[in-house]
Amino acid sequence: MSEDAVRLIPADEGSWRLEAYLRRGGYEAARKAVMSMAPADVITEVRKAGLRGRGGAGFPAGLKWSFVPQGGAGPKYLCVNADEGEPGTFKDRAILVRNPHQLIEGMTIAAFGVGIRKAFIYVRGEYGRIAGRLREAIAEAEDEGFLGGGIFGSGFDLEVIVHLGAGAYICGEETALLESIEGRRGQPRLKPPFPAVVGLFRAPTAINNVETLANVPLIIGRGADWFLGRGLPKDGGTRLFGVSGAVRRPGLYELPMGTQLRTIIEIHAGGPPEGVAIKAVIPGGLSAPALRPDELDVTMDFDALARAGSMLGSAGIIVIGDKIPILDVLKVMARFYAHESCGQCTPCRIGTSWIHKTVMRIGEGQGRASDLDHILRLADGMKGRTLCPMGDAAALPVQALVTKFRDELEKAVAR
Amino acid sequence: MVGLTIDGRTVRAAEGTNVLQAAEQAGISIPHFCYHPAFEAEGNCRLCLVEIEGLPKLDSACSTVVREGMIVRTSTAPVLEARKDVLEFLLAEHPLDCPICDKAGECKLQDYYDRHGLFPGWFLEAKEKRQKKISIGKGLLLDRERCILCTRCVRYLRKVTGTGELGVFERGVRAEVGTYDDAPIDNNYSGNLVDICPVGAITDTDFRFKTRAWFLEKRPTVCPRCSRGCAVIVESVSGYPLEEGERRVFRIRAGENPAVNGYWICDFGRAGRRDIDEGRQERVIKSASPESELSWQKALADVMARIRSVPGPERAAKVAVILNSRMTREELTLAKRLFAEGLSLDKIFFADPKPGAADGFLLTEERVPNARGVLQAGFSPRLPDLDALAASVEVLLVFGSHLLDHFSEEAVSRALAKIPSKFLFSAHTGPLDRLAEIVFPLAVSAEKSGTYINIDGLRQSFGRAAEPAPGVVSEHEILGCLAAGLGLNVGEHDVR
Repeated sequence: MSEDAVRLIPADEGSWRLEAYLRRGGYEAARKAVMSMAPADVITEVRKAGLRGRGGAGFPAGLKWSFVPQGGAGPKYLCVNADEGEPGTFKDRAILVRNPHQLIEGMTIAAFGVGIRKAFIYVRGEYGRIAGRLREAIAEAEDEGFLGGGIFGSGFDLEVIVHLGAGAYICGEETALLESIEGRRGQPRLKPPFPAVVGLFRAPTAINNVETLANVPLIIGRGADWFLGRGLPKDGGTRLFGVSGAVRRPGLYELPMGTQLRTIIEIHAGGPPEGVAIKAVIPGGLSAPALRPDELDVTMDFDALARAGSMLGSAGIIVIGDKIPILDVLKVMARFYAHESCGQCTPCRIGTSWIHKTVMRIGEGQGRASDLDHILRLADGMKGRTLCPMGDAAALPVQALVTKFRDELEKAVAR
Repeated sequence: MVGLTIDGRTVRAAEGTNVLQAAEQAGISIPHFCYHPAFEAEGNCRLCLVEIEGLPKLDSACSTVVREGMIVRTSTAPVLEARKDVLEFLLAEHPLDCPICDKAGECKLQDYYDRHGLFPGWFLEAKEKRQKKISIGKGLLLDRERCILCTRCVRYLRKVTGTGELGVFERGVRAEVGTYDDAPIDNNYSGNLVDICPVGAITDTDFRFKTRAWFLEKRPTVCPRCSRGCAVIVESVSGYPLEEGERRVFRIRAGENPAVNGYWICDFGRAGRRDIDEGRQERVIKSASPESELSWQKALADVMARIRSVPGPERAAKVAVILNSRMTREELTLAKRLFAEGLSLDKIFFADPKPGAADGFLLTEERVPNARGVLQAGFSPRLPDLDALAASVEVLLVFGSHLLDHFSEEAVSRALAKIPSKFLFSAHTGPLDRLAEIVFPLAVSAEKSGTYINIDGLRQSFGRAAEPAPGVVSEHEILGCLAAGLGLNVGEHDVR
């Protein structure tokens, strides 16, 4: 384990307080960026560090910032995606609770690099109490001149507004998040145009996940090379792996990008409890296609998991023990996506509901031999055809369960 | 202009055009529900997915702007498969109550299933139960089971009328269209919602259950109810399944005219359906023998005889006509040549409906279609002075019944009582009928062909949109016969 100064989730007493953060060397990176760096150099440094988005898609953060037009008289915005809704994921929550100042410092650096003076933090409704601590941290930072007008006595200003969501998974999709901040029904927009060009209130907008931004002070403070050294050549830094389910020590583990999945489960999380064997592992939040026990020797990084037919996603690892019927997993999964589909586009609206209804019918003992093929066909009807990525997010994990655990499910259907 | 290839064909389209429009211009139709050319693409129905070379997956044609060199394929196996799947999703939760649905026969969901679907039904689950008859205002009913959530209605009310009465509530398969706190739709353009709904989710009680779409004969004309001159489609049935010889206009819908009304008409114009069908003067009625069947040609001989009985030099003072601004430009020219030039009448008046309030969008103050045509024909329209009329006139021809918009029935009765011969030419029955020696049944504008000149001076010619009942006649025929009978040369129908 690294020392607190370079941990996203520090263990020191009162770690969320400004004084604790300053003891850990906090706000030095922001001071360095604002006082001594050119904005373009900030973006270059983050690109060099290979920081990939921690929200799920893994898009290089610096590259994303570089799409926001430089200069211009009109407003530009930074939106922080703290709508941590992916089942099995609880990492951003930990940052907000234990280390809010590191997020704020990361925001300051990002805003300085991209030329932004106003930022929103979109916090999921269920994190309402956490948002209070975040607001306190913002007030602390403003009092010290780390936020607000004339940061560090420079000419750079940044206003930060905390915006609470109302409990919709889809608002974690970046354009639905923008709609929600604007006060409309939270549902995704067509892309292109991408938010970097036409975003919040139709202005150029950078949108980043909490964990992504919390890594930025480390990159600016210690350099891209140091950051790369903590991860992989094209996928720098550490990752917060949330482990839940059939393990002895469920929790959040900050480990280098590229750590073996089996190592995380068996060593860090202590492996499954006595008498339980692993049946399946969902490696990156519910939307990541499940892996069988023989597929766990994969490194946890974006590219390796993509090659394994899954995804790193939000790095929320859900371990499913052999006592759990796969049909139960499928039921929970199907219900979740049917419940959370925004309903805007046809394949997702009807597809998630149809799959859910079919799975529930199987659960009631009314399954038909053709049902599993039918579920695969419905998922095919959604994949790549929806307005936003949620169609894939709902279809792929269902297809993986049905394909990889077909024998067990066929028995359930025949019951 | 941008050059691209669609299904192997080279297509040129204006910059900013979307792929769906560009294909349409090239004669390749891409099925779609949610896209409407009047709004920004929303891309929610996913039916217009096409293959665009270089992209990893299908993309919606409605939301993809054409680029130079773009290669688009609209009927490859993956595209056809995607279309089929979208239709299957929509139909899974659709009530399939086509036998009792007003939209049947002109429903995009039906048409597309027929052309792009034809799959067996796989949906074994219970369909969502939803409300099927929600009154959303202005006689419109919402059926949430039929709704496919294309949100055309929601976007129309937000972007065209700006009234925003409808929204989408709830999410996922429970998502539904509705009014806010049950505040009903209340604007003068609500009927367009029925026109743009691609399925039978929004229906109009005025049309509901009255006929089936496939019986309707649809013909274009120009709306006569104000001076905007919107394009409208008159939809009527003649004969089967009605009685032999019966004709009814079931609906007036918006026609498309980018120069005037775009895709929309107002509810006031749409209600003009009633002018065509209701309260019509059906036959010639001679007050001396009300029961006898009389052709308009025969009856017109009486009119000519009365005019002839006034010596030529006295006609200017003793013969009067009252015209109106609903007459076509052609009819007005005839009237000018017949009454002003041929008969040298001085007393040519106009009686029109009183102006109403303009609504700031399409509806104008003038509630007649051809006030500009009246001026162009060389008339200076003015109302008659009833007392002066009563004092000197011996023969009066009245076209239309709008004297009553300006004078009380009593005043008109009193004046007309003093005039020995008065003839009424009117499309609708009314209180003036009993005052006239003969009443002639006139055609309404939908039953005529002609030209109107709208508020902006735009000249719009139209053909007959509905067949008039036998014996119903246009002013054009009346005036032509009068001229011929009186031996006046009024020339050919050139109005220019």
